[in-house]
Amino acid sequence: MTPIVAFRGVGKTFPGVVALDGVSFDLTPGECHALCGENGAGKSTLMKLLSGVISDYGGEILVRGEPVRFRGTREAEAAGIAIIHQELNLVEQLSAAANIFLGRERRTAMGLLDDTTMERESAELLAELECPVDPRTPAGSLRVGDQQLLEIAKAVSLASDVLIMDEPTSALTDAEVARLDRVIARLRARGVTILYISHKMDEVFRLADRITVLRDGRVVTTVDRTATTPREITSWMVGRDIAAHDFHGSRSPGAEVLAIRSLTLPWPDHPRGYRLKDVSLELRAGEILGVAGLMGAGRTELLETIFGAAEPTWTGEILLDGRSVRFSHPADACAAGIAMVTEDRKRLGLFPDLDVAANVSLCSLNEAVRGGLLSRSREESLVAGPLRETGVKTPGPHAAITGLSGGNQQKCIIGRWLLVKPRVLLLDDPTRGIDVGAKAELYTLIDRLCREGLAVILTSSELPELLALADRIIVLSEGRLTAEFPRAAATEQKIMEAATGTTNHVTI
Amino acid sequence: MNSSGSAGGGWRLPRHELAILAATVAVFVVTGWLDPNHTYFANWAESRDIIVRNTALLGIIALGASVVIIAGGIDLSAGSMVAFSATTCALVLMLCAAPDDRRLVTVGPAGIAAAVGAAMLSGLLVGTLHTWLITAIRLPPFVATLATLVGLRSFARAMCLFVTKERWGSESQQINVNTPFFAWLKEHNVWIMAGTFLVLAIVTWLILSRTVLGRHLYALGGNEQAARLSGIRTENVKWFAYCYGSLTAALAGIFLMADSSVAQPGTLARGYELNAIAAAVVGGCSLQGGVGTVPGTVLGALFLRLVIDAVSKLIKASADVYEGMIVGIIVALAVTFTQVGRRGQAGRAFFSGARGLAAIPTIATFAALLATMAAANVPVLEGRTGLFGVVVGGITLVALAAIRHLESRHAS
Repeated sequence: MTPIVAFRGVGKTFPGVVALDGVSFDLTPGECHALCGENGAGKSTLMKLLSGVISDYGGEILVRGEPVRFRGTREAEAAGIAIIHQELNLVEQLSAAANIFLGRERRTAMGLLDDTTMERESAELLAELECPVDPRTPAGSLRVGDQQLLEIAKAVSLASDVLIMDEPTSALTDAEVARLDRVIARLRARGVTILYISHKMDEVFRLADRITVLRDGRVVTTVDRTATTPREITSWMVGRDIAAHDFHGSRSPGAEVLAIRSLTLPWPDHPRGYRLKDVSLELRAGEILGVAGLMGAGRTELLETIFGAAEPTWTGEILLDGRSVRFSHPADACAAGIAMVTEDRKRLGLFPDLDVAANVSLCSLNEAVRGGLLSRSREESLVAGPLRETGVKTPGPHAAITGLSGGNQQKCIIGRWLLVKPRVLLLDDPTRGIDVGAKAELYTLIDRLCREGLAVILTSSELPELLALADRIIVLSEGRLTAEFPRAAATEQKIMEAATGTTNHVTI
Repeated sequence: MNSSGSAGGGWRLPRHELAILAATVAVFVVTGWLDPNHTYFANWAESRDIIVRNTALLGIIALGASVVIIAGGIDLSAGSMVAFSATTCALVLMLCAAPDDRRLVTVGPAGIAAAVGAAMLSGLLVGTLHTWLITAIRLPPFVATLATLVGLRSFARAMCLFVTKERWGSESQQINVNTPFFAWLKEHNVWIMAGTFLVLAIVTWLILSRTVLGRHLYALGGNEQAARLSGIRTENVKWFAYCYGSLTAALAGIFLMADSSVAQPGTLARGYELNAIAAAVVGGCSLQGGVGTVPGTVLGALFLRLVIDAVSKLIKASADVYEGMIVGIIVALAVTFTQVGRRGQAGRAFFSGARGLAAIPTIATFAALLATMAAANVPVLEGRTGLFGVVVGGITLVALAAIRHLESRHAS
């Protein structure tokens, strides 16, 4: 049988990172094909190529045997390929029906919008997907699970025969996951081919016929589900060289620096009601505390609350050196010796118009002032230290920061915070979007800083990273702390169970 | 450092500033040569005074606008701020003058100091109001300063009516200012304004490129969230930016009042804010924030005023009719060239598809109409203005069609 979609030697390079390298595999019509891999393995990039979001890549993609190169999602949709992105693509102010028919609105004979027909058809589509929402509801006021079904309804109404789902369950409740399973079964009964991207083994083994594993942008293997086990797939996924670095060996944590008692951060206008609930933790000097959790579990919110960057509506207590603190602005936290490297480097960390030196010196500019004016030479000598210490590779201190690779940009930001000589360093997923070599360098750097007495809280969406670096690991799930492990007792399996909320609270 | 220019750009002028400088020289030489009277070469002093005075006035406001734009905001209220400051200044002078002195000649040094101080204070108040609206009420800067653009002028007029009625017993829409100090200012307006502009430019340059505050302004404009998460108190930086914008406008208001010997809040400096923003943009400021330099803005203001003056020399019509068109065309061209110069933008087609096709006759029509109107002022073309317009329109049409053709061949 001709594969409905075939990848032939597909490659894609971003500045400094090889995202995909010689990827080849097929989708058989009507199958549910799972694509597995850790964060950063290249799954999402591959899907962007197939759905027309990215059109410059090497190799070729065949649809029903014909080579294609989509220059936009519209072209991909016309070829029957629809994608449900992890970050949903809805116009929140428009109604559910308007979203489903966006860009191909039904019209009356007069040429006006035919809301009646669109709403009726939407209601039928949604009913079929077990999504009992009024098609006139604004999309923004729906729950995430329903919003997702809205996207699926859109794909169904387009009569797509390939549906790509990018980690569709990352923000769903158990009931919603069960409903999604039924929807997938129904779509398959109609002959829709499903490419299901996930790193959750239970889902993959429940749904998939075949499984392709990606690692560092390459296909490790494609196997029948019946011919493999979750353990084997996981070992292919995580077969990275991380475990070789075992950093926590001889660290000896000192006195307690930071303690958090029953921290609760409310979340108005959300069914859950809170972003964080009753979270307590301690952090010692010279210790790395790992925070695990799926997307939306509250990792970033936890760090932002400590750093004074969250809404000041939280309750509970934050103790720094035993004294209760409540920072209302990051500047206060910074003055008290807390530094935070933010998760989204481009959006929350970098200043693209400033050069490397200015990006590094930003938080400690006062030290480069002579006679009320900034001294260029002082600034250069100020940043020389952190640039050397973090091992930034740059043509010079006045090079454009945007010209550096992701790893070097991240080192610049860590360097920025080292200049303020913090005692507590909050690292929010610091290796996201960074290539493997640079990651190893960052691990060495974080380990060294910790040995010099810095107290570090590290969040990561990559479990091996936490296992390699952290002395202790806490797990957040939907805003609650569900487990705490000393390094020796932690395994990926246990952490993942706690993160998905499948086990009750465990403390070992 | 990016070539587009930003903090601490070193000693060499970046490419953008050099390009404006070259364009300025070119316009000067070409106009001097084409102008039948060769005014620029033969009688430079006269043109020089007009250009320097206008450049200084525009430049003072543009420096404030640049600071706001670099900080990632926008200040639409500058023109009204000029009127508000001038009115405040005149009203304080009036209150310090003898009760029956309607020409305000009897004001002493203390009264003058109070009036100037009050005008500058009005700038500080408006800047603070803007900051509060933007940071506490969270109005977008465009909305906040649009409100004051409309509101301040009206407020100044009401204030003028109220105080004149209270003081003189009869309402007046304007206040004549013949105070000797301001008359002296008017007499030496060119060099005092140019000197003020120069000092202000140096101060602004020092702040932007050599102080912590300046770096924070660039950081705020480049990435506000990252700036906050880096421990920068962004509200305070905004406060400075909007006060600086209003203060420079207030300063311009004092000069403009002196220059016209009258404070007339209804019409004074109408539309100046847009020219100031245009000068900043021509000078390389990005409305996205985080990019811009003082030399760029100074040259942008100079270039705009020179072109406006050059056109009035060439077609012998009053400059203000053509001013808006010139500013509009220059802004569009300057930003187009900046974008084309950037990597990744080069080679992009301007006239592709149905919209590109529709743009060609549109531009040609405008060119033909403009040429017809311009030709009416050129003696050689008398009686043949229509023909001239049609020829220019036709040439534009053919030229753009040729560009489109080349673009489509290049793309395939």
